[in-house]
Amino acid sequence: MTDLETYRAKAAEWCEAMVPAFGKAAREGLTVEEDLALGRRYQKAKFDAGYAGINWPTDLGGQGLGHIEKITFEGEEMKHGFPNVYFGISLGMPVPVLMQFGSDREFVKERVLKALQGEEIWCQLFSEPSGGTDLAGLRTRAETDGNGWKINGQKVWTSWAQYSDYGVIVVRTDPTVAKHKGLTYFWVDMKAPGVTVRPIKLAGGDSHVNEVFFDDVKISDDHRMSPVGGGFAVALATLMIERYVATDSAGFGPHLDLFVDLAKEVRLNGRPAIEDGRIRQQIARNHAMRAGLDSINRRARLMMQAGMTPGPEGSLNKLVAVRSRQKLSELALDLQGTDAFAFDEHASPKDDWASSWINAPTGRIAGGSDETLLNTIAERILGLPQDHRPDKGIPFNQIPA
Amino acid sequence: MSILYDEGQQAIATESRRALEARVSKDDLLPLLQTSGRYHDGFWTTAKEQGWTALALPEAYGGLDLGLVELGLIAHQAGRTLSGAPFLTSNFGAAKAIELYGNDTQKARWLPGLASGETIGAIAFAAGADALPDQPAIGLNAGKVEGMAPGVSGGLFADVAILLALDGGTPALLIVDLAGIERKAVDSFDNSRCVADITFAGTPAEPLVTGEAARAAALRILALQAVVTAHEQTGGAEALMEIARDYALTRKAFGQPIGAFQSIKHRIAELYGLVELARANAIHAAACEGQDDFITAAAAARLSATEAYDTAARDCIQIHGGIGVTWEIGLHLHMRRSRTLALEQGSSFFWEDILVDRLAGAGA
Repeated sequence: MTDLETYRAKAAEWCEAMVPAFGKAAREGLTVEEDLALGRRYQKAKFDAGYAGINWPTDLGGQGLGHIEKITFEGEEMKHGFPNVYFGISLGMPVPVLMQFGSDREFVKERVLKALQGEEIWCQLFSEPSGGTDLAGLRTRAETDGNGWKINGQKVWTSWAQYSDYGVIVVRTDPTVAKHKGLTYFWVDMKAPGVTVRPIKLAGGDSHVNEVFFDDVKISDDHRMSPVGGGFAVALATLMIERYVATDSAGFGPHLDLFVDLAKEVRLNGRPAIEDGRIRQQIARNHAMRAGLDSINRRARLMMQAGMTPGPEGSLNKLVAVRSRQKLSELALDLQGTDAFAFDEHASPKDDWASSWINAPTGRIAGGSDETLLNTIAERILGLPQDHRPDKGIPFNQIPA
Repeated sequence: MSILYDEGQQAIATESRRALEARVSKDDLLPLLQTSGRYHDGFWTTAKEQGWTALALPEAYGGLDLGLVELGLIAHQAGRTLSGAPFLTSNFGAAKAIELYGNDTQKARWLPGLASGETIGAIAFAAGADALPDQPAIGLNAGKVEGMAPGVSGGLFADVAILLALDGGTPALLIVDLAGIERKAVDSFDNSRCVADITFAGTPAEPLVTGEAARAAALRILALQAVVTAHEQTGGAEALMEIARDYALTRKAFGQPIGAFQSIKHRIAELYGLVELARANAIHAAACEGQDDFITAAAAARLSATEAYDTAARDCIQIHGGIGVTWEIGLHLHMRRSRTLALEQGSSFFWEDILVDRLAGAGA
């Protein structure tokens, strides 16, 4: 076995051992708060076992290993449905950005260690009601206030803000310059006076995203993580941190085997659905698409292992996987007919077709909508022109609303 | 077999691209369409000179002992330049059938010629929509075959064919020497494929595989060819995507390049997705040769490649507007080829069924 195979085998073994305490059965029937508490214990167990911050520096509590070990572990972890979703954003972007740009190193170290152990959670305050895709169009502002700053405005779609201790935030500090140039990047204490978090209930019934209001929230200048007016570059760095995460060709919905099983059980007009050409075609097309993504991801891992940089085709995963998950889930409901009406709000989108279906639109929007991703592919990979941008180069406060 | 190309493989890709771009142009291809019974001999000469016909065959018979991965790299370039004569795929398929299932005498007789490209092989399994018919129309009786193999790609010039026939009640995979056999050229929408109906009337045939195993053997041969074709289709789709991109950057309307319109740029970005999925599946399938999941991988490769090439052909022409449908610009060459390759080695319906049967397990 190669070192990486040994690593994978050990990771798989550890994950198996965690199933009784943290697996799907253990989570069944828990409230979100109870599940979060279980999640914090799981995160601590991961930290103790050396599976937290796998590719982070050892002096900050990480393991000092490579990106390939990280996604290898995540690939195994993903198979079990552990309560780790609460830490995905926190450890995915804000905390790595803090490690990179935080100036008070003692403070950074303390935060990183607590985040790695599940004691503290960070959120990322980027999107606003007036724009998600157009990050530089944000309106939340910070004005100088004595030696520090005073923040006013509103963020939205902030994942896990209701459980977060800290957040990273981009705000407008100068409305008189072009929109990209007037932004500054800070961290904020989510418990500070003037911060109000209001959960948003989503179509599927859960509330992991929030509106966050800032009313005269005062922060000192040591919260600043970019030069004044230099926030856009740090925001982009945040979005670029994880180019390769463990991906799921099922689009974080059910695996195709479940659909095949369903098609074998159900009868359509007196015949097994698996014999129906329409169903067979969907299965075949879906498999071909998912197999292609799996192969792209496998090749990316091999490239990383060989010290190369994977190609841009890795960006296809979310675009094509979630779209096809949505269609396959619709079809699975079709196959169940009136039996599909029974709906369990707490069922997992990984193995329940109704849950997968009702949550699929979120997947097609969050983290970049299909249209945004297509633009990115067209512009960044294929070199096609940018969209027409009438606000380009115009001072922010002179852009027609 | 790794799905990362090593240096030698990269060199094969670069060299075959260089050779094909130097030797093949669309101006050679257009006249071929207007007459049946001609193929692009510049391509076939290049294939022979470069050793592509020998590439995936055993050294003992004049081959180079490389595999499907390397052949796929060449097929990809052939697809890009639209230069695949049908022989690259079918020669390889016929040679593999003999290599895998033939006896020493059969191998010694046919493989050296197939490896050098002097002998042209063809595969004649299909009957219309049925890529592997349950009841082949060709019958074997006392070592002789009767019946007609319709629409055999490359059949017009083939020296040897591998047939699926019915021997009494059971299938049989056979070798037939085509010397002196009458065949009728099919006037096709892609005449360079040299498609022919081949009629057998008491033609001597030798068995390769008899009984129920013959169908499995035929499927394996078809899958090997399908993986080569999937690379060729991916190459064609990739070329079309690039042609569409370049045109969208050059052509202006309403004061800007048409590539700035989302209706155009998203269409091309979608093509990128189809091409990359097809490429990934094709490479994976080539690397799976000889493994249990080869047929499944080949089916997935086949389906994504067909979708990629057909879609790219449709969309690239659409993006060009009127100029896209002219004889001169030649996008119709890709359109013709994409459909030809979609039909050779079994249609999408065929591979969908093969794939689902495997995913659903026995008894589905």
